[in-house]
Amino acid sequence: MPRIFRGLWCLLTVGAAACNEGLTPQTVCPAGFQGICGSVTFRGALPESTDVVYIVAYATFPQSQSDLFNFQPLPPPTLGLDSASRTKPQAYALPLPSGTYHWVLAAWKKQGALSQQNADSLLREAGFYKNPADTTQPGVVVVSGAATGVDFVVDFTNMHPVSYYFPPLVAHP
Amino acid sequence: MKLASTLSLALAVAAGDLAAQATGVVVGAVSDTSGRPLGSVRVQVEQTTLSTLSDSAGRFRLGDVPVGRVTVRAALIGYYPAQTEVPVPAGDSVAVSLVLRAAAMELNPVIVSAAKRSQLLDQAMTSVSLVSREAIAMRAVNTVDEAVDKAPGVQFINGQVNIRGSSGFVEGLGSRVLLLVDGVPANQGDRGGINWDLVAVDQVQRVEVVKGAGSALYGSSAFGGVVNLITRELPSGPHARLRATAGLFADPPNTVWGFRDYTGIQDGLDVSASYGRERVRAGFAAGARHSDGYREQDKADHWQVTGRGEWRPEPVMLVRLSGAWASDQYQVPEPWCASGQCADSGQGFQPFRIDTANSGNTTRSDKGYFTAIVTRTPSASIAWTTRLSWLRTHFTDVYPGRQPPFALADFAVANRYGGEARLVSRRDTGQVVTVGLEAAHADVSSNVFSGDTTGGGGSHMQDEYAAYAEAEQVMGPVRATLGARGDFLAIDGGGVTAFVSPRGGLVWPTRTGSWRASLGRAYRAPSLAERFVTTYALGFRVIPNPALRAEDGWTAEVGRAWTPLSWLHGDAAVFFTEARHLVEPATTPSLQIQFQNVQRARLVGLDCNLTVMPLGPHLTATLAYLYLDARELAHDTVPERPLLYRARHLVTLTADYTWRSVGVGADLRSSSRFERQDPLFPGDPRLGGRVLDVRASWTAGSLEAHLKVANALNYIYNLAPRVLEPVRTTTLTLAYTY
Repeated sequence: MPRIFRGLWCLLTVGAAACNEGLTPQTVCPAGFQGICGSVTFRGALPESTDVVYIVAYATFPQSQSDLFNFQPLPPPTLGLDSASRTKPQAYALPLPSGTYHWVLAAWKKQGALSQQNADSLLREAGFYKNPADTTQPGVVVVSGAATGVDFVVDFTNMHPVSYYFPPLVAHP
Repeated sequence: MKLASTLSLALAVAAGDLAAQATGVVVGAVSDTSGRPLGSVRVQVEQTTLSTLSDSAGRFRLGDVPVGRVTVRAALIGYYPAQTEVPVPAGDSVAVSLVLRAAAMELNPVIVSAAKRSQLLDQAMTSVSLVSREAIAMRAVNTVDEAVDKAPGVQFINGQVNIRGSSGFVEGLGSRVLLLVDGVPANQGDRGGINWDLVAVDQVQRVEVVKGAGSALYGSSAFGGVVNLITRELPSGPHARLRATAGLFADPPNTVWGFRDYTGIQDGLDVSASYGRERVRAGFAAGARHSDGYREQDKADHWQVTGRGEWRPEPVMLVRLSGAWASDQYQVPEPWCASGQCADSGQGFQPFRIDTANSGNTTRSDKGYFTAIVTRTPSASIAWTTRLSWLRTHFTDVYPGRQPPFALADFAVANRYGGEARLVSRRDTGQVVTVGLEAAHADVSSNVFSGDTTGGGGSHMQDEYAAYAEAEQVMGPVRATLGARGDFLAIDGGGVTAFVSPRGGLVWPTRTGSWRASLGRAYRAPSLAERFVTTYALGFRVIPNPALRAEDGWTAEVGRAWTPLSWLHGDAAVFFTEARHLVEPATTPSLQIQFQNVQRARLVGLDCNLTVMPLGPHLTATLAYLYLDARELAHDTVPERPLLYRARHLVTLTADYTWRSVGVGADLRSSSRFERQDPLFPGDPRLGGRVLDVRASWTAGSLEAHLKVANALNYIYNLAPRVLEPVRTTTLTLAYTY
């Protein structure tokens, strides 16, 4: 009987050692990743009131301010904003379910607590992935596995508030 | 006047002599069957509160023993208990010699947590796991949670304890496990979580882990189980102990993860001393630890003092006072750096580095408790206990990188005052009745648990009153138990909410063990922090929810303890919990985070373990397995799905071999990865845990040395989101006991 348990112990120990596949170094867009990968290039000086810059994706282009928070993923990843991170293209990865995404953008956020009511004063569109064939339009990205090369520019000198795209929310009584 | 004083003094001396003559002294020695003296044997006089530990020569002395025939019982883990009946003469002593026979298996230890009274383990209607002092010493751990982590069915997720998947992970808030220190509730008054470093590990005699809902006796927080830390008894005579630890953390296994050019260390020193006489005993302990940590911004310092006193005004009465204060000051190394959040070297994540936005974050956490317990056993059939307790926690989190309007520091000062009176009645008919009253008051002053969404500070309080009763009746071979507890809860002096938690069960002994079955209701009142938290996290506002309801549920268990051979013991239980109104963080439509009653859940599983001692007590191996199916039930538009942070499979294999003064051992813990991706970090890697600890020990008289390599395979993984679990850590512990 002791031999059996000794053998079981050895088997499990060796098994654990052989299967020692913990976390390993991964590039920003590792094998098996599902979502959107690319890089952003920064332009202009970082505004002093900056809190954070998110990268988000919309399955359909928002039609009103009430659609504004239908982005993915939640919470969204943020970009590194220290001066060293802004001097060269910065890689990003946006984990997303399979599907088609009609707007991939960088959202600049001013310091302060965000809510639906103050979104227009705190959020700016700072850049988005553009249609290579018509750079005035957002590019469409189809996610099935990793969609790579979704590169765009974050321009702090040319940011747009929410009301640039949609009329303000009507206050409900 | 002088004559009166002299007469008074003479009367007092005479009264003292008479009292002394009404008692006697039991002295003796304990040895094994080969005549070798046995130290640390618990020797007690039955039906009294008198007990002591034998010294390293096996000797003991018990004073103030009632005259007449008494039963003296000796017990030590790894041996069959022995007892003898002796006549105690008035004002004189009697000598006894007790011989303990080595047991292949530790049979039927006495536990105190499952029914709020002492009972044999196989008489408990719920599953109970024990972590002995020997197991704690062998593992050479620094905090209690490191020892409890290896108990069957228990898993820690970044410090948050799960018993059979009870709590998941909510950043330590709202634990569904109740921590007791010598039977006194010790969950934080504000967050409801647990400070595992409140009690120095060197002061712990054993840990009892009661699985399944304990609300019928313990009320809120015992939703998923109870962990009771039983501290060491104060022995008679002078004793002292010195314990020193030193350790090294492994460097990151890949150069691209490197973050410092030196090897991190940890070290610690604990000293304790006690002195005991027949009626009065006192002990004191102090300790300090430092750690460089294994990650960037991970340095930590810890200081601790503990004091205890015992007074036996009469043989059947014991007054215990105890208190502790611990202070931690540490850097906050969480969460790890994702791409772009630090010098990421082109990596998708840097698990040893932190997001530079959190650079400089630190925490100071002070906590302490004071407890007074009076126990009296006036007769063989009656025992009562009363206690008063105070637990205080005070933390300050400093965020130097925060932007206005948010404060650069969050703080909370919380108190929890408690009191309880309990009576246990045992009758010759096999009936045991436990009744009690309990009250607690918790308050918090804080800028994050204030409920003030403008960021101001504020105070809140919670009052709890409870009455409970439980009766056990022996009916033929079966022990049947039925009881209930009523809890009444008021927040900020408002309306009272009532909960009733009934529980019943059966224990049916068999030739080779016993069957047990129980059914009970569980509930947990949300902590003040869950109701009133108001802060800023991940760029989003976290808002309060004063209207949170209590969680409740039903839990059932059928178990079997089985000892077919002297060297083989097994225990298995199937369990079922159906819960509703579970409190979980949720995202509101306006992108704010709030604790809400959002879930109905069902947890079903099998919790089993098998212990073998094929070479007598020299070689012990335990294999434990937990199968857990934890599901959030469908509601509204949400389909049925796995609960967050629950592993379906959890395997623990422990083996220890002892030969003379040398021991070697290992713990292997493997858990499957959590099935549901964390919604906050959907792209993060998901892994199971697979950790091997190996250890060796050497004992020579009063000197012990323990060498441990935790996570010997240097398995790099995380359980909580973006929080790296400890890397390989080599620790040497030396202890000297006088």
